[in-house]
Amino acid sequence: MANIAAKRIKREFKEIMKSEEVIGGSIKLGLVNENWTELKGEIAGPVDTPYEGGTFLLEIKVPETYPFNPPKIRFLTKIWHPNVSSVTGAICLDILKDQWAAALTLRTVLLSLQALLSAGEPNDPQDAVVAKQFRENPRLFTMTARHWTNVYAGGPNIVHECNSKVQRMLDMGIDEHQARVALSSYDWDLERATEQLFG
Amino acid sequence: MADDASSSSGITGNTVENSINQDELIMKQQREIEKEISETIPLVGEIEELQTLEKEYNEDPIYLLKVKDLSSKYKSIRRTRPDGNCFFRAFSYAYLERLLTDKQEYDKFYEIAKNSKDILVALGFSQFTVEDFYETFMEVIQRVGEHAGSTPDLIETVRMELHDKFNKQGYSDYIVVYLRLITSGQLQTDQEFYQNFIEGPRTVTEFCRQEVEPMYKESDHIHIIALSNALKVCVRVKYMDRGEGSQVIAHDFPEGSTPLVHLLYRPGHYDILYA
Repeated sequence: MANIAAKRIKREFKEIMKSEEVIGGSIKLGLVNENWTELKGEIAGPVDTPYEGGTFLLEIKVPETYPFNPPKIRFLTKIWHPNVSSVTGAICLDILKDQWAAALTLRTVLLSLQALLSAGEPNDPQDAVVAKQFRENPRLFTMTARHWTNVYAGGPNIVHECNSKVQRMLDMGIDEHQARVALSSYDWDLERATEQLFG
Repeated sequence: MADDASSSSGITGNTVENSINQDELIMKQQREIEKEISETIPLVGEIEELQTLEKEYNEDPIYLLKVKDLSSKYKSIRRTRPDGNCFFRAFSYAYLERLLTDKQEYDKFYEIAKNSKDILVALGFSQFTVEDFYETFMEVIQRVGEHAGSTPDLIETVRMELHDKFNKQGYSDYIVVYLRLITSGQLQTDQEFYQNFIEGPRTVTEFCRQEVEPMYKESDHIHIIALSNALKVCVRVKYMDRGEGSQVIAHDFPEGSTPLVHLLYRPGHYDILYA
């Protein structure tokens, strides 16, 4: 790895450990390998959002040209959000693309991602199915996001309606995650979700 | 799995994933082009006779006339890498080179440079990152100052070091980043004035985030005006394009001062000119 990138990441790492967000536990950063090319991030779901109480893991890859090019980041924890792919965890956020600036840091990126969880941007979606639900059926969107947070991110809020519908599909021999995706995508309409999977 | 769910139902999940892949492909291609440029063109080249421009435009009568006009005022040119950072790189190289022989101007500039970090931090830029770039920037400037206005031998030694640093990514790009921050700081300090130059509904702050602070974003008049105002340095830009006439038009930023830096602009790119 280029010397500049490694040097900069090391400095950032020290700095972020002293930040109030790390001390307060709302973000975390850890090393994955010894040459500083890959890190693991963690953000707490913001309060008063369906993600509250959840912990979301992020894969952070540092390119050789860092900090002149942005880090590559995706969600490892499955999440239901208009700007994050429910399949791959890919993120749609301007500062991770053409609006990255060398004066930004991993700390500012983690905080921006946390802000993204508080304020989804359905007009610039990464996941069109989620974005459509976000726009057209906010109540169902919130329920789905809360349910995913409970199941995948360790959030405390159990959504019984979702659990029981997933269970019904499990009883039919369908894989749990597949069932959840189908139900989430079809606004928890058990019949359409089943039809889609068997059709 | 969601792939399956969305494709068979006709919900447009895949379309968006595809268009994102498209984005990534474009970005990848762009990086490959950048890589090729970076392997063939130095960040800042050696000084060349202006005639090399004539050769470039051998079969282009409009440009040939303009090169002729240019050569009545300038003897040589120093090319910079066309990577979107060329204005900042050309400007800082030409100005620091000039400071080597102008101690008085150096002292004036040193004070401005020294105070620049506090201005940025006061504007809300993070101390941590600004400091990183500021330190490298000051290190380069201080080395220029050690022998500014000194004997030709010493000046030549530092000039060669400077050339070397401008061709090392670690120094060169750090200088570019810092100048971008200074430019952004100036725009935000004097928002009301600069708002007039920004097209569309963007605020000055948004413009800075999108067009000034990110690396590789090309510079326009507004960048030049802001940087020359922030550093109190007058820049003359000679605009060479396909426009009518045989003259190469010059713009001074700000108008009415004596330019210390001379740049040649050809659509999308800046190089350094020497009289």
